[in-house]
Order: sequence, then C-alpha cells, then structure tokens
Amino acid sequence: MLRLTLAQMRRSLGRLAAAGVAIAIGTAFLTATLLAGNALTRTTYDALTTTFADADLVVLSNAGLTPTELDALREVPGVDAVGTEHVLGVEMAGPGGVAWTGVRTEAVHPRLESSNPAEGRLPSSGSEVALPGSLADRLEVGLGDTVTSLVTAFTEDPAAADGTTTTEVRKERLTVVGVLEDGAAEVLGMPGDAIVSDTTFDAWAGLTGSSDETAYLDLALMALAPGSDVGATQDAARAALEGTDAIVRTQDEHAMALLEELTGQTRGLTSVVLAFGAVALLVAALVIANTFQVLVAQRTRTLALLRCVGADRRQLRRSVVVEALLLGVAASLTGLLVGAGVIQVVLAILGSSTDVPVPATITPSVAAVVVPLLAGVIVTVGASLTPARAATRVSPLAALAPVTAPRLAERGGRVRAWFAGLLVVGGTAGLVLGMLAVSIDPMLGLGIAVLGGAVSFVGVLVGAVFWVPRVVGLLGRGAARLGGPPARLAAANSIRNPRRTSATSAALLIGVTLVAMMATGAATTRVALDRTLDERFAVDVAVTGAAPEVTRDGLPEGFVTTVSELDGVGATSLLTGAPVEVTWPDGGDAPMSVTAQGVELDEVRELMRAPEHVDGLTDGTVLVPEQVTRWYGIPESGTVTISGSSGELTLDVVTTSFEADAVLLTKDTLDEIAPGAPANALWLTLDDLDSASELVTTIADTAADTELAVSTAGAAVERAFYQRVVDTLLAVVVGLLGVAVVIALVGVANTLSLSVIERRRESATLRAIGLSRRQLRSTLAVEGVLIALVGALVGSLLGLVYGWAGAWTLLGELADVSLVVPWAHLGLVLVVAVLAGLLASVLPGRSAARTSPVEALAVD
Amino acid sequence: MDLSPSTTPAPSGAPREHDGATAVRARGLRKTYGSGEAAVHALAGVDIDFEAGAFTAIMGPSGSGKSTLMHLLAGLDQATAGQAWLGTTDVTTLGDQQLTELRRDRIGFVFQSFNLLPMFTAEQNILLPLELAGTAVDRTWFATLADTLGIADRLTHRPSQLSGGQQQRVAIARALIAKPEVVFADEPTGNLDSRSGAQVLSFLRRSVRELGRTIIMVTHDPSAAAYADRVVMIADGRIAGDISSPTPESVLAGLDALRSLDEPAVR
Repeated sequence: MLRLTLAQMRRSLGRLAAAGVAIAIGTAFLTATLLAGNALTRTTYDALTTTFADADLVVLSNAGLTPTELDALREVPGVDAVGTEHVLGVEMAGPGGVAWTGVRTEAVHPRLESSNPAEGRLPSSGSEVALPGSLADRLEVGLGDTVTSLVTAFTEDPAAADGTTTTEVRKERLTVVGVLEDGAAEVLGMPGDAIVSDTTFDAWAGLTGSSDETAYLDLALMALAPGSDVGATQDAARAALEGTDAIVRTQDEHAMALLEELTGQTRGLTSVVLAFGAVALLVAALVIANTFQVLVAQRTRTLALLRCVGADRRQLRRSVVVEALLLGVAASLTGLLVGAGVIQVVLAILGSSTDVPVPATITPSVAAVVVPLLAGVIVTVGASLTPARAATRVSPLAALAPVTAPRLAERGGRVRAWFAGLLVVGGTAGLVLGMLAVSIDPMLGLGIAVLGGAVSFVGVLVGAVFWVPRVVGLLGRGAARLGGPPARLAAANSIRNPRRTSATSAALLIGVTLVAMMATGAATTRVALDRTLDERFAVDVAVTGAAPEVTRDGLPEGFVTTVSELDGVGATSLLTGAPVEVTWPDGGDAPMSVTAQGVELDEVRELMRAPEHVDGLTDGTVLVPEQVTRWYGIPESGTVTISGSSGELTLDVVTTSFEADAVLLTKDTLDEIAPGAPANALWLTLDDLDSASELVTTIADTAADTELAVSTAGAAVERAFYQRVVDTLLAVVVGLLGVAVVIALVGVANTLSLSVIERRRESATLRAIGLSRRQLRSTLAVEGVLIALVGALVGSLLGLVYGWAGAWTLLGELADVSLVVPWAHLGLVLVVAVLAGLLASVLPGRSAARTSPVEALAVD
Repeated sequence: MDLSPSTTPAPSGAPREHDGATAVRARGLRKTYGSGEAAVHALAGVDIDFEAGAFTAIMGPSGSGKSTLMHLLAGLDQATAGQAWLGTTDVTTLGDQQLTELRRDRIGFVFQSFNLLPMFTAEQNILLPLELAGTAVDRTWFATLADTLGIADRLTHRPSQLSGGQQQRVAIARALIAKPEVVFADEPTGNLDSRSGAQVLSFLRRSVRELGRTIIMVTHDPSAAAYADRVVMIADGRIAGDISSPTPESVLAGLDALRSLDEPAVR
C-alpha cells in the first residue's frame, strides 16, 4: 500500500509541491518568530549583564540606600569596593543641537566601571567630559571638540524670607576627551551616561541641590576582594542591611530576575506574532484541504479500481492520510530550514552592519524546532481528513462506469447552512452586546466583543459555500457583459465547483479581512484621536521659549521668519506675553502669578482648528483655560482683576476647554496693563497634519540651530506621537498578515491549475471550435481575478465593519468614534488582489494553452 | 491494393447529383512518429480528394491511420510531409492563430463523446462558435438546424439533462451553425446505442442532402459507413479501397477483402 501511495504522490508531484509551499511558508513563519524571540532574549541577557560591569553583588532598595547603609556594606568583610549610581540630569549643547543626558563620575573601582572609552580616555580635570558614542553623534562632536553644559541651578532668593527659589541656567564649556562605547544596554533603550571629573560633578551637584547625602540611590554594585567567597559575603551583606527593604543578589541572579521582567514583555510580543502565524497556518489548512479534495476526485477511477481488487475502506483512508503525513513532514522541514536561514541571515546582517551586539548564530531551542514541525504536520494531516473520508466513499462500481462529465459539485448541506447562520447571528449579537457592555466593564465588554466578532467571522467562513458562488456569479455576470467570450466562459466556469471556489476565496478572505480591519481600526482611531486633540489643544503647534531670556526678550526674529517659511507651515501668529497677577473677590489675600498672553484675535481665529474656543474673548474679557482655573482656583465666572507692570483692569472671566497654562487677553488689553510685552510665543498651523512628525522635528532642529531652548506643544506634537505609534503598529501587523495573503494566493494558483487539469477535454474542444490560445489564457485570467476579487471585496467590507466595531469598543468611551474608510489601503488591497489573480493564472494558463485540440477527440 | 469499387446502388433514394467541386484535398500526406528503425508510419503518403456537398466515410480498423488522416486534414496535427488543402487553403502551412480562425470559420467538428460544455444550455453550446468568432447569429439558419435535428424543445436544457443522442444532435448543430465548408465527425455514434446512432447518422445524411453541407466521417462501423455517399478504406496508413454508394454489405465485403489482403502481411 505504501508503494502505491508513493507512486500516486509521484504522479501528483506538482500539485503536492504547490500545496506544500503553503505549509512551508506557515512553518517558516513560526520558526522565524520563535528563533527571533530566542535571539532577542539572548541579546537582552548580554545587555543586562554588561550594565553591571564586573560586579559580584548587586544591592537594590526601593526606599533608597542611606549613607549609613552604604558604609555598613563597605565594612562587610571581603568587600573591596561599593559603588553607587548617583546621576545628575544635565543638558548638553553641541553643533548638532541640545540633548538631555545623565552625568556621573567614574566608578570607584575599575571592576565596577561599565563604560569603556572607545576613543580617548576618561576625564581627569574639571573642564573635561567623556560622552557616550550615541550622544556624541547626536551633538555632532568628536575628540577634542567642545560642548556646552546647561545646568539648571536653584538658588534661594535672599530677599524672600519664605525660601522661594529662583532658577538660573549655568553654562560651562567642556572639552570632549573620551567617547564611550555604546554598551549593549543601548539596545534596551537605556543610553549610557556622560562621565565628568569628581570636581565638576560635585560643583553641579551643589548647584542642583543633589548631594551624595540627599541623593536617592536605589542601586549599589559591590566588588569583592580577590579570594573571598561570594555566598558568604552575600549573607554578610544581607545581615548588614537587616531591617531595611534592600535585596542583595549575585550579578547572575539579578540579570536573570530582570530578564524575567523584560522577557515577560518579549513573550507577550512573541505570542502576538505567533497568533498571526496561526492565522497563516489556518489559511494553509484551507489550501491543503482543497488540494487533497481534488486529488481524491482526480483519482476516483484508481481508487475504485483498488476497491475492485480488494482494498478496504481503511486502507484507502490510510493511503490519503499517509500522503498528507509525508507532505506535511517534507513541507514543515523545508519551512523550518527556510525560517532558520532567514533569521541567521538577519543576524549576520545586523551583526556586521550595526553596533547592535546580536548573537552570531541562532539558538535553536527545542521549542523552536518542535513547535513549527508539529504544527505543520498536524495542520496538513488534519486538513486531509475530510478528503480522506471522501476517498472511502468511492464505490468499486465507479471503476466500471463510463467517464462522466465533471459533476457540478453540490453545495453544502442544510446542517451547514443552519450552523453558519447561527454562528453569524450569534456572533454579531455578541459583538453588539460587547460594544454596549464596554460602558459597564471595559475589559469584559472588549472580551465579549472580540469573541463575538471571531465567532461571526467563523460563521462567514463556514457559510462561504453558500454566498461565495452567488457573489462570484454576480460579479461574473458583470464581467461577462463587459468582456467577450473569455469572460463569459470564465464566469460560467468559476461557479461550477462552488465548494472549491468558496474555499479558495475564503482563504484569501481571512487575510484581507484582517488587513482591512487593522487599516480601518487604525484610521478610525487616528481620526477619533485627532478630534480629541483638537478639543484639547488650541493650535497645531505652539512654540514657546524654555529659557528665561526668551520669555524676557521674545523669540528672535530670525527664528520666527525661518519657522514661518518652512515648507508645510501654514498660518502663523505671534503672541505677546507678560507675567501678571490675578485677584478676585473671595480669592484670599495672595494674588496668583500667572502668565498672560496677548492674541491678535483675527489671526488666531484663522489658524485654530476649533475657533469657537476663543469666541468669548473680547477687549473686556479674559479667557481662562479650565485647567488654569483648577490649578489656581480662579472662579469660572464673574470678574477678576488682572494687574501688570503698569496698570490693572477688571475683566469678565470666560473659560475654555483647551489645555494651556496661561490666560489669554487680546493684544490691546495686554498692552494696556503691560506695555511693550515681548512677543515670546508663536502659534502655527500645519498644511498637512500627516506630516506633523517631520515638521515638529524640523522646528525643534531650527531652534537648536540658533542655540535656543524652545518647547513645542500642541495637537500636532501629540498627533505626531500617536501617528508614529499607530502607523508602526499597522505596518507591522499588515506585514505579518501579508504572509497569510501570500499563502492564499498560492491557493488561488492551485485552484486554477486544478481547473485546467479537470477541463483539459473542454479546453481542447473549445480550441477545436475556434478559441484562440490567447482567449484560453484570458479565460483563466478572468477566473483568477474573479475568485481573488470576491475574497478581496468581501474581506474589505467585513474588515471595515470589524475595524470600526473594534475602534468603537476600544475608544468609544474616550472619544467620538465615527467610521473612517481607509480608501488608500482598501484600494491597494483590491489592486493587489486583481494583480495576484492575474499572476496566479499565468502558469495554469500556459499549461492550458499547450493543450492540443486533438485531445478533444481522444476517448478517456 | 487493387480493390474494384462496388457498383451496388445506394440503399435508399436516387443517386445524387454532386457539383463536382473538391472541398478537401490531400497530396503525398505523410505522418511519421519517431525516427530511424523505431519510425512508425501512421500515414504513408496519401493522395485523396473529397467532393463538396458529399457525405464521405473514412473506414478502417483501429491503428489504420484513419484518425491521423482526419487530424491532418482538419489542421489539428502537423504533417511530416505532403500537403492538404481546404478549398484553396493549404492547411499544412498555417500557424496556430490562422488554424484557430480556420477552425472557427470554415470547419466544424463532431466528437465521439459529444464534448458539450456542461455549464451552458443547448442553445448556448450551439451558438458558441459564432460567439467566439464574434459574428451575428443567423436566426433562420439556427431555427432550421434546431427543427431538422429535432432539438427545438430542448434548447434551454443543460447537457446533463439530455440523452446521449440529443447531446450528439446538439453537437451537430454546433458544428453546422457557422456554415463551415466541411464538418469532420469522429466516430459520432461510438458512444450511442444503435437506435440513437441510426438517428444521428440520418441527420448527418439529411444535412448533406437537404442543407447542402460537406461531411467527412471517421468510423470503424460498417453499418455507419453505409449511410455515406462514399466510403474510403484505409489500412496501414494507405488508401486501401474506395466504395461509392455503399451498402452495409458492400462495405463488409470491402472489409473482408482488406482482411484477406492484410492477414498474410500482418504477423
């Protein structure tokens, strides 16, 4: 029997190979995911251990280690040195701009120093600094260049008895004497600190009021004297810290503990990616089931003959299942090798072209080998079970019957129809219920909605055999009217085997629906967020000075002109600003100091996305953001008295919902109480909100060029951030789902070539009565496009509904969610589907065109 | 190869007047499979003329080369040597596209297993050649065919709803709809019971006599061949006899003569 199975497999090699590709892609995907996860874990571990240099013990304390505790540790026998990480936050300016960095001194013991100079040395005198490589790159400085440090100093105002402090930025020029290696920690998003000499550090610590005594130290590293026992010292250190919340771990214990925390996230990510792998395998299962169904149908005669000569049902079933098993093993092994190869290549490229310290070779864990292999084989064998049952139903009589014309396969049964209907109706009800339940319990609602959506989609897939032929027929009639005989033939052919066409379309439907869902969800989310942001922010971008001199003297003219003339910047308006004091009846004795901004109403209305925010502002009113009323206790109605440098006015309070920390007056009103207030804020709109992220960066760079510390805020700034998150997620997800779509396209090609084989006689007849080769090829092309288009169209539609429902469920409570159709994405999906349908028909079309008309005359 | 033509009168009706024009002609037509010692001569140089407006049967035992001859005459297969004309067109020199157009406009085919397209109705099947050629339907001609072939009440049925005989009559209508210069029929009664077979053969003969078509039929059944105006005998890739106005008896006699000739030569 096995010999027979092998012989049959040899005869259908091409067919099996095409089906095997689907499985191989799926398993390659799984393997690659698991191996990438392994590589990530290893990279993380390496990165973690380097952060602790060569420390023997690591001490952690949530409460912070006090100097007494540290001294106690130093006195533990066997301890050579105890190092802490006292880090100051300082701004550094260079030709490349301004950046914030942590600053510390060299470690107290060489074995505790985690940063090594890649070039130069560590600083030894007051005016020297060593920068991490990534920071040096950002500031565009090298060895021997100078950078300016900007330290914000807090000094007690001697005049004020109540201890109010004033802030001042101290600038200092430092020479770069060393560029530090970017440790593996950089991978984890933990940039290294700059290192300065002890004297500089102490001076800065004094300025910022952060001395060794008062600093919060949650970590200490310990180096042991040569020959001391780590375990014993660890116990002694624990004893020394008795009564505190401090933990003492060996370096390895600590790295493992951190890894556990971090890989918790990594594992979450891996399981999400694996879910997409499962989708890919599901699609592959449909393709496999289809292929085996046809293989059995093709071999009806052989199977019947076998039954005639004495094979029993079990043997026939076993033959089909063994065939699937062999195919599954071969395809999964291929996928395994391809997946491993891809990751190995990626590692090699990463290792040689970037500084990221990745492992040189893949780490093939047992799971990474066994899981994809098992999944691939189980899916293949599972998909072959139904066709295998069909093989047992072949009657021995079929061997004797004359060759019949290909039967018009039956549609699904009544049970299937009811089942599918029940799933769709029940699932949709669950989805709606979940959407409603969100207001009661968000997590519960989301869970019900997701489950309901999934169930209804399964119903759509189960019922595919009922609706796909109808939709194909509808589209086909349209195509037949437009195209000539090939289109008519294709339309008629595409509904001849409803089951196969349905399964093929359904395979594509899965991927397309998920892609469309993600795109719709993303677009809907973005618009909903945009609307919320418009409510929250007055303008797209507000630029204000961060440094005291900008607030005092105004934004430099050159900077304002440059920004106004940037590509993509629309209307701009300069605001004047001055400190004022606000008093109101029942407001207590102390006046509130706030900043007042003077706006040119006409200009500002032009550039606001929601101009109604400034509706109440006139020469006799003051516009107070709700946030400011909360912070300062300013009443939300009534009158307040505002006094500036030379005068005071009593004005009516009007509140507004947008977020700002200043009160707004008209420019004229501000001029009255504070004449000559500097123009120290710039509001602007962006022509294209989608370019927000680039423009905001450009504005920040422009500011850095003029050595100006400005801060940008506004809807566009937040939007730029959300946009990046949403877009990145979408790109990743679409890329992952692309795998499922590719597999489905293999299925379309497979179905078409099966049709070609089945209809060899018909094709020959058509050729004999005058169908040209080109017409025959276009017949198949139209059929391929029809099948693909149905999957794509219906998938887009479903994705639209699910995507919107999903966005509503997630954000309905936070924002006003209305359906947004991502036309560009959907259009792309349709174009890809049409092209793929055409592409899938190329090879089958060529083989069909080779059919000689003589075959029509042949009997059998 | 000296077999004297029979002079037995036709089984029914008066001898017909042919216009004498040649519809299909072959000269030195040869088809060889393989080469050298392994070469098999399916057709070993055939010269033959087929009259327009006549019903000619090509007869011979299986493997005699009768199907090969038909394939070459219809431009379905490439000849190794020699020429074949349809009217004045040398079909052995045409490319695939020209052959496609030739089949579309000037040749009709009737197959042993009917080869109707299962997804189309009888009417759609009949009109398919016109649709492929993009020519208008001659409704009168269509009605004439449907009436003559007795399928007027079956036009909306699909092939699966028709009997074998009905399917073959639909196929004949399809072969005749474009008024081709010649119709090739390959064992048209091979898959039919004898009654349906007889019906189909009378229809073929009627379409020649009443509708003025030219039909060349390949068969190995002497009683089928007897419906033709003329029977051409083929054996071992050569013309082995030519009987005009055949009867089943004269055809059988011809076959017997062939067999007695062949027997010493074969095996």
